[in-house]
Amino acid sequence: MANSNLPRRIIKETQRLLSEPAPGISASPSEENMRYFNVMILGPSQSPYEGGVFKLELFLPEEYPMAAPKVRFLTKIYHPNIDKLGRICLDILKDKWSPALQIRTVLLSIQALLSAPNPDDPLSENIAKHWKTNETEAVETAKEWTRLYASGA
Amino acid sequence: MSFSFPSVPRNFRLLEELERGEKGIGDGTVSYGMDDGDDIYMRSWTGTIIGPHNSVHEGRIYQLKLFCDKDYPEKPPSVRFHSRVNMTCVNHETGVVEPKKFGILANWQREYTMEDILTQLKKEMAAPHNRKLVQPPEGTYF
Repeated sequence: MANSNLPRRIIKETQRLLSEPAPGISASPSEENMRYFNVMILGPSQSPYEGGVFKLELFLPEEYPMAAPKVRFLTKIYHPNIDKLGRICLDILKDKWSPALQIRTVLLSIQALLSAPNPDDPLSENIAKHWKTNETEAVETAKEWTRLYASGA
Repeated sequence: MSFSFPSVPRNFRLLEELERGEKGIGDGTVSYGMDDGDDIYMRSWTGTIIGPHNSVHEGRIYQLKLFCDKDYPEKPPSVRFHSRVNMTCVNHETGVVEPKKFGILANWQREYTMEDILTQLKKEMAAPHNRKLVQPPEGTYF
């Protein structure tokens, strides 16, 4: 079976994610593929995403933990570091990955990215530009999208 | 069938294919890209094949539509030519590439990619049963 030789590290991480979830984050493996997780992140308070429930998917590639998990948003989100396909620009998912990091740290970093958008290292040029030229308005759009697409319905 | 390793889920597999397509493939005679940059499920794609040498297809540019449903890559995408073409595996009325007449679709395996489909179709154009067939005028569409 596909899941029979799941590394011990992944089993441990999964157990801990389920038994001690980080606040505002849930991650559970899919039944068919224990390396594929359904993830929910609640929009952090004091951020434009507050009140939103964001769905993501996460996959641990064969090389994990030598290679970073693959993660993307499935819920539409207005954020300078997240593109239209939900791909995330975050250093620890790329060149700053280290096997000392875990699924939990990745998800906490994504949650932190929602609290602190970084328009200087954008993935969505248009959104980043909006953020830099008129932050108040960009934040309003982000709130609007949160209401429209992330209301948890 | 035995998997030594759990397979890459559909969406991440398509993201890999997207990135590969964006970088550009080989000599550029086959290429593909997503139709709707807003479609989070990445279903609809356009492929392009430049007709191979030593065939009536030489230098012609063919456009195709590939549709990857929810069950991709367990199941192959549906593939149809947008540009008119005369080939034994292509339905003459609709442009659909008929899986029964095209090996890679008939014997699909989840490791196969859209690039493989396009590359095989290009080879098929140069096969003895296709390379001399009379072709519709260039720039006409199904």
